[in-house]
Amino acid sequence: MSSDVVIAVLDCLVPGDTDGWPAAGQHGLAPKMLELLETLSVDGRQQLAIFLSHLPENFPALSTEKQIEILKTIELSNPDTFETILKACYSAYYTDPEIRRILELKTGYEARPPQPLGYDMLPFDESLLEPVRARGPIWRKVR
Amino acid sequence: MDPSPDIIIVGAGATGLSFAWRLATQQPNLKILILERGGHIDQRQGPSLSTDWELALQRQFHANPNIRRSAVDYPVDETATPIKPAFFNAVGGSTIRWGAHFPRFRPSDFRVLSEDGVAADWPITYESLAPYMDINDEMMGVSGLAGDPANPPRNNRPHPPLGFCRGSLKLARAANKLRWHWWPADAAINSRDDSPNRSACNNCGPCGMGCPRHARASADIAYLDKAVTAGVALRTHTIVRKIKASKNVITGVETIDGTGKIKVIRCKEVVLAGNAISTNILLATMPDWHNPLLGKGLMLHPTAIVTGYFADNLNGHAGPFATSLISQEFCETKEDRGFVRGFQLQALRGQGPLSTALGGYGQRLDWGAGHTQAFAKAFGKSMSLTVTCEDIPEPENCIEINMHTQDKFGMPIAAMRYRLGDNTRKLRDYGIERASDWLNDAGANRLAITRLSVQAGFHIMGTAPMGSDKSNSVTSHDGRLHGIENLTVIDASVFVTASPVNPTSTLQALALRAADLMCERLAQN
Repeated sequence: MSSDVVIAVLDCLVPGDTDGWPAAGQHGLAPKMLELLETLSVDGRQQLAIFLSHLPENFPALSTEKQIEILKTIELSNPDTFETILKACYSAYYTDPEIRRILELKTGYEARPPQPLGYDMLPFDESLLEPVRARGPIWRKVR
Repeated sequence: MDPSPDIIIVGAGATGLSFAWRLATQQPNLKILILERGGHIDQRQGPSLSTDWELALQRQFHANPNIRRSAVDYPVDETATPIKPAFFNAVGGSTIRWGAHFPRFRPSDFRVLSEDGVAADWPITYESLAPYMDINDEMMGVSGLAGDPANPPRNNRPHPPLGFCRGSLKLARAANKLRWHWWPADAAINSRDDSPNRSACNNCGPCGMGCPRHARASADIAYLDKAVTAGVALRTHTIVRKIKASKNVITGVETIDGTGKIKVIRCKEVVLAGNAISTNILLATMPDWHNPLLGKGLMLHPTAIVTGYFADNLNGHAGPFATSLISQEFCETKEDRGFVRGFQLQALRGQGPLSTALGGYGQRLDWGAGHTQAFAKAFGKSMSLTVTCEDIPEPENCIEINMHTQDKFGMPIAAMRYRLGDNTRKLRDYGIERASDWLNDAGANRLAITRLSVQAGFHIMGTAPMGSDKSNSVTSHDGRLHGIENLTVIDASVFVTASPVNPTSTLQALALRAADLMCERLAQN
């Protein structure tokens, strides 16, 4: 299997944009995506083989429009296989440290694990409940 | 421990551990042995300490055992159910994998036949369980706020309510505008430090993969140490394959361990504390006992999810994902709605970046050009509402055991056969409309609707319901199997009805009550 094929597929799935998001393949995520295919799915290797069997050998050399057309055909004909590949692609992309750094710059969502620092929250404001309390009990008494 | 314990409990989850603790503290002279097919999960080293924490949800912490496929999981035939099984095999059981939402069943949930003319009444009342719910709240460390007008008056929770996020505020204000009930969700999560072992929640978000701070309760965190101190023994990686009986008396269990070694352990009482699926499998191994109602009346909580996307960043990743606020405005029957019983609306916060891309509670983001823009519009900007539907028990919905197929442990394989009944469909559809109203009033600019959440068979209820005798039930009010004196079922298979709220508080209260009733019976004997 040519790594060029996987890179081209990833670039179609997450092509990035001019706003600073890189394309998944060009960003070098092919090895991680292939690794995740095996660890995230029991049949990841089989699904990859099925997926690749639907791609022409010259896939990387085709125009982007033609590549997308081929991928859409696979998505329709082999939805489970396609979802497995797509899930591995998104998984590689959104857990990549550099992508997480870009995400932090754009949204403020820090490029760190949820623990041990956690996040701040507003304290609960009981005054919000005044209208609810004012209605009185609504629970149903039973016979 | 002596090889012949008095009591064997099958399963170290929500009910097995609470039952064991209660029994051991009430009857210190009893030899109690818990057999658990899974091992310990070290939550102190949980995935949320790692930047790629979201990957764990796809495999080792996936709720569906057929996807997770750990060494201790057993397969479930899910081909005939649109809602797939969801449970976890480990010390702590499915509370390892839960969101810790902790509402109580309400009085009418125990009187569905008398009040609404469908299903059946429980042989026990809300009032008989409430004291056990209070005990369990203390043990689990529940946070919340007293005074909820949609529930009977009750004690203050051990912990004050958890914090609020921007999305929760939007929903609370919108509910007030709609004049609907809402309340901060009860949560089995410490909102302040509870030394020495449990810290206050720090709002990290992904409760469903274990809590490194032990703020979020699981049965092992809340009960295991106390049960062991009281003398309970626990044996992990031990799978109970068969219940051994002589006529109508249980004599012990047959187990298989990780090395394939088969063993018989004799005992005086067996307590089944797994889930409705494992209980049905084990009861099928008793050839001389039969009840035609066993397996029938499977109830789930069919769940629709409506996700609202907002223009502003809500920081939706912050805060326990499942315990923001709830509305019980639509839990009870109203004749003009065209269905009986109802649903609870429960707010879910947003998710991490990968889960957002994969769809999370909403819809999977399209690939190709525009993907990253779609991500930017979704991430951190959503709140979801679950429509948790009360299921009516129907005989067509069932767990069937195929004695001709075996898993790798030599046990028969269970099949879930389930479809949404007409009543459930109607209340689900009505609930989606109300959830949409709520999110629209809160300012959502776009909604994504999942009409039926597939990987959501978390609450597997019924199939061995409680009742007065074997003409209408499988178990008696204390969980004992009709026709067998010394086999007690304490998992949710004994539920008579499903309520529209999460079951764990009620389930554990039933287990504590069953322990007290067993104590009384053993004392008399």
